[in-house]
This record gives sequence, C-alpha cells and structure tokens, in this order.
Amino acid sequence: MSAGCRKGMVINMRRKIFGIVLNVILVVLGLVTVYPFIWMLFSSFKENKEIMALEQHLLPSAFTVDNYINMNARFNFMRFFANSLLVTIVVTLAVVYTSTLCGFVLSKYKFKGRNILFGFVLSTMMIPWCVTIIPKYSMIQSFGWLDSYKALIIPAMFSGFGIFNMKQHIATLPDEILEAARIDGANEFFIFHRIIFPMAKNGISSIAIFQFLWTWEDYLWPYLVINTKEKQLLAVGLKMFSGQYSTDYGALFAATAISIIPVLLIYIIFQKQFIAGVASAAVKG
Amino acid sequence: MKKKVLTTIMAAVIAATALAGCGSGAQTGGGDDGAASANVPTEPFGDTVKYDPSVAINDGKDITVELWEWGSDELFQQVIDGYQAIHPNVTIKLVNNPWEDYWTKLPLALDGENGPAIFNVHNSYHENLINYLAPLDIPLEDLEADFTGVEAHVIDGKVYYIDYGMMTGSVYYNKDMWEAAGLTENDIPKTWDEMREVAKKLTIKDGDRLVQAGLNFNDDFHQNYLLGLNYQLGDNLFQEDGRTPNVNTDNMKKIMQMLVDMYEVDGVGSKDFGEKGADSFGQGQSAMVIQWGHYYNTLNTTWTDINFGVFEIPTFDGEPYAYNRYNGESTFGINKNAPAEQQAVAQDFVKYFLANDEAQIAFNMAMSTFPAKKSLADNEQVMQNPSLSILADHIDHYIWPGPMPSTMETSLKKAGQDVFFNGVDIDTALNEAQESIIRDMKSSTFESVESLYKYAK
Repeated sequence: MSAGCRKGMVINMRRKIFGIVLNVILVVLGLVTVYPFIWMLFSSFKENKEIMALEQHLLPSAFTVDNYINMNARFNFMRFFANSLLVTIVVTLAVVYTSTLCGFVLSKYKFKGRNILFGFVLSTMMIPWCVTIIPKYSMIQSFGWLDSYKALIIPAMFSGFGIFNMKQHIATLPDEILEAARIDGANEFFIFHRIIFPMAKNGISSIAIFQFLWTWEDYLWPYLVINTKEKQLLAVGLKMFSGQYSTDYGALFAATAISIIPVLLIYIIFQKQFIAGVASAAVKG
Repeated sequence: MKKKVLTTIMAAVIAATALAGCGSGAQTGGGDDGAASANVPTEPFGDTVKYDPSVAINDGKDITVELWEWGSDELFQQVIDGYQAIHPNVTIKLVNNPWEDYWTKLPLALDGENGPAIFNVHNSYHENLINYLAPLDIPLEDLEADFTGVEAHVIDGKVYYIDYGMMTGSVYYNKDMWEAAGLTENDIPKTWDEMREVAKKLTIKDGDRLVQAGLNFNDDFHQNYLLGLNYQLGDNLFQEDGRTPNVNTDNMKKIMQMLVDMYEVDGVGSKDFGEKGADSFGQGQSAMVIQWGHYYNTLNTTWTDINFGVFEIPTFDGEPYAYNRYNGESTFGINKNAPAEQQAVAQDFVKYFLANDEAQIAFNMAMSTFPAKKSLADNEQVMQNPSLSILADHIDHYIWPGPMPSTMETSLKKAGQDVFFNGVDIDTALNEAQESIIRDMKSSTFESVESLYKYAK
C-alpha cells in the first residue's frame, strides 16, 4: 500500500471518528434538551403526590389520565385552545403578509429615506417590550379595545423582526426576474403576489414559525387586555394552575402537553423551509 | 415517514382533545343554574351588620359589574349566585386571575375608568391598592361589633377592607411516625423544651446520617419562627414608633439560637435535609413542621398519603404575651374610580358578604382561616377543621402587625441563611437584618398596628 493511500485511509478514519463523536455529542445534547419535555409528558400521567415525591421515576408508578380529564375543572380548555388557535393563525397570517410586503418594498424599491425607514423598523426591535407595555395598555384602553381581540391582533400585525428577515431574504432574489416580469406587462401587485411570494417561501416559513410560536406562547399581553373568560387564551389558562399557595402540577403538565401540539405540527410541516429561510437571512447582507 | 409522524400526531391531538372534552362535564354551572337553586332570603339577616334583601338595587334597573379574584371560581360564584338570586337585575361577572400577575393587571385596570367595581384584596399589596379603594359604607362600630381586628384597618376614621379570616402557624405532625416513636396524644408538647424532646424521639439516624427529621424548618424559619415567636417573649416586631424594626433584640437572638441548637445540638434536623420543610413533611421524611393554615389544604390535596395531626404552637413558658403572628385574609375592595351606580352595587355586595354566615364559613373553610366574625368562632363546621379548632381557645392572643413590607421576610430569611450556611454569628446576622429593613422601609408608609393588640402592654 502506498504512503498516499495510507494517508487517505487515515484521513477517512479520522473523519469517521470525528463524525461519530460529533453525533454522540449531538445525541447527548438532544437528550438533555428533550428530557424535561419527556419528563413533563410522563408526569402528566402521574398523581400530584408522585410528581412531588422525593424519589423520582420517569415512568408513572400509578398511571392515571385524571389530569387530562380534570383539566376542564378550572376552565374550558378546548375553548381556550380554540381561541389561541384563532388569534395565533390570524396574527401569523397578518405578520407574514405585512412583513413580506414591507420587505419587498425596502429591498427592491429605491426611494429617499429608505434606509432611515429601515433603521426605524430595526429600532423597534431594540426597545424592550416591558418598556412599551404600559403605554400600549393605555392606548388600547383609550381606543376602547380592552377585552377584544382587536387589542391582540392589530398591534401585532407588524413585526420588526419579520420585516427585517423578509427584506434580507427578498434582497437575494435576482432583480432581473422582476424586470422581465415588468417587460412582460406585469404590474407591481402581480409581481408581489405571483413572483415574490412563491419565491420567498423559505423566509416566509421561518417567520411564520417564529411568529406562530411567539403568539401561541405570549402570556402577559393577552392576560392584561382580555378579561372575559370565554375569550381568554391558553397561555393564560395554563397560569391558572399555579395558585397562591400551591400548584396543580398534574393538570398543568397535561394542559401544557396538549398546548404544544400545534407548535410541533407547525414546525414539522415547515422545518425544511424554516432552516433554509433562517440560513439565507443570516448570511445575506 | 413524515406522513407517519403527522398521522401519529393528529391521532394524539384527537385523543387528547377527546379526553379533555370528557372533562367539560366537571365544570360547575354558570350563574343562572346556581341562582335558580339558591335559597333566596326575604327577611333581613346578619348580626350587627344586617343585610336587607328587600331593598332594591340600582332602582331595579339592570346593571353589570365585574368582580376580579384569584383562586377558586366556585367559591366566589356561590356568593354571587346567592346575591343575584336576591337581585336578578344585577349581573356580577367573575374574572379569575392567576395570583402572581393579578398584582400587575389590577393596578393598571384600577387606574382607568373601566376597572372592576369589586376585587379581591390581599393585605400584602395594601400600599399598591389603597389609593384606588373606596371606604366601606358600613358604620365602623357595626363592623367592630361583628368582626375581630377591625380597628387595625381604620385609616382616618374609615375602613377600606377588613379581615374575614385569620391565618397563623401551627404544628403539623405525622401520626404514623408519632406512633412508631411510642408517643401518644398525651405527649403533645406545650412548651419549646417539650417540643425539642419530642423532636428528638421522632428523629431517626443511621449512624451520622439523618433518615427522618424530628422537626424540619428549612426555608420556613423566617416566616414561621423569627416573625412570630418574638411575641411569646413579649417583643413586638416594631418599636414604639411603629416603624423601626425590632429584630436584633436579645429575645430574637434567643429564638435564633434555639433554632441553631435544634439542628446542631439536638440533631433533630439539618439545613441540608430537604430544601423545604413543608415538602419534606409531605414526602414522609420529616415528622413535624410548623406551617400556616393553607398547609392543611395542601396536605389534603397534594400529600394525600400522609396521616397527619395538628396542634397549637408551643410556648416558652405557657403564658405568652401572644402565641404567634397572624395574617388576615381580606374582604373585597371597592374601586373608587368605578361609576357611582357600580360602586353602589359593590357596597351592597360587600355588606351581603359580611352579613352572610354561609359565605363567611365557606371562605374560611376554603382558606383554612379562623373566622374573624365573632359569632362564628365556635361554629360547628369550623370546629371540624382541626387546623382551626386548635386555635379557638387562644385566638384573641394572636397579633397582626399590619401589612408588613416584604423586607421583613427577606431580610430575616437572609439572616437565617447567613447563620446556617455562611457561618455568620447570630448578632452580626440580626444586626445586618435590622439595618437592611430600616434602609428598605425609608420609602414605605407602613406603620405597625401592634399597639392595637387586645392585651398590648
């Protein structure tokens, strides 16, 4: 065997070992990340005394579905679930549309003040949400939007992150395609809806996932503006399991286990586009 | 593969939602059902504070008000149903909140015109709420005639809320461990010396390793010992001016020394044996803990396997200045920014709540608090709750210092942690706590009401 061949084998061997080690590390990290979720899932089938017991076991020693059956004792779980789904879908669709539209304008149109406008959009991402929450509450109160989904949907329709992300993504699309469409007689409305939208699906997927997740798990704002029980969202309902002196962990885990299903579904459906979208937004300037 | 995963998840969703749907039947009925079944009184009822159901509210015209609360919807709905049955023109919309964030949302809402007319109050948030409260439209002397501790709530001759119940600390013990140690009901300790002896008997060790703690006060010593036992030795928590803390006294040092000796000399427990005494007791690792009334409910709902008993907190000499500190569970607050007609309903509702013995008992049983309503002090239903019946003989020997700023708890907690974990001597730790409380209270308007104690020196 020649020296070159041996060297090649050694490099191959090293690559294989490196690959195995890397995979083992990733599996371990994956398990560490997923374990609390698995523990919560199994604990949702335990009684509270077992969840709080000194000796902890992953699997329930006395299997019970009571936590799932009794979830509704505190609030109408399915009603809250449906409310959350409605608000989240509406907000996500609105953000996807407005972000793509603004991203298209900011990346493909040249006009005076474009950079200032974009800087303004970016600056909205830099202000901590807790600073704006009280003025936002006062505005909603003076508009008479309290206890209405208008308070949840309208202020959330524009996302600085979404606009930034879509501007970066749409900037990667060749101008020549748009020019060709214009030469063929397409108007801007057509170009946006029939060319930009389909070509930006990776970016759209990534902001759709982010926005869906953020809206789905948003707690404080919906809690502050919604009073009527029948309109309340699931993230607020989950908090109801934590009382002044104790927490009903079993019911909380059962409700949480169900509440994460839509998020999982969205991620599974869009994961390929999500990864591609995040990667493209990250590398293009 | 992707299809399979999706199908599995969809199946899981359907199964889970079906299960959750099964539970909907467990929900209690809304106001209408309850109102229909409520026993509607027609004659005035109550002790000195009387409620006359024949008086029309809002001239009989329809009106809706909101009641914000945390906790059990059923409990509040019962009272609302009873009230709405008398006044069908009034709709009280119940808004349930999570305890922690209620205190963020409530002041925001009360600041505007659309806040709730009626809301649940906890005296630990007194300073945040007092500027939004309307005084109760009930003569002070009537309230004082019916309820204990009213005078401590008087501000410039007005009362904004009072206590419907009093909660304090008692000793919870594991009956099985008690029996296994050869102890009987006659061994229930009356003094701290007896308590230490009993705790020694209940302690089990395997060599140097603690297997069962006789007494566990981990994470509790500040709340359940340092802020209460001082009264047994004749010290208030605040000096005569009502603002200067009194936590670095000889008596406080004596209490801290007793706690240290229990763990380090008697060996009945350890700072490392369970993070929280309350959980350790529930997990069957500790034989005794001192906990406040709410623990009775926790044991009955979470730690259902524990066969427990409860007895009154021991004293140093059998004749304490006071047995312990108590804290009140407060009656509803009325929003002074609400429209006048809503405030009128709120005033009427609070009077109904105070005059209604059934509601008073229900609230006290739910919270495991001793009724502040004097006529209910020996109520049969209340006496069936052992965590309340043990307080009956000496309930007038418990002190409420007022809505203390949280620095009292946090500073003494730090002092205890410094002593147990950081090797700081007791004198230094308590002096630091004293300084820290003085510093933190500079911006507080708190003034102690310890001088209003019935047997104040």
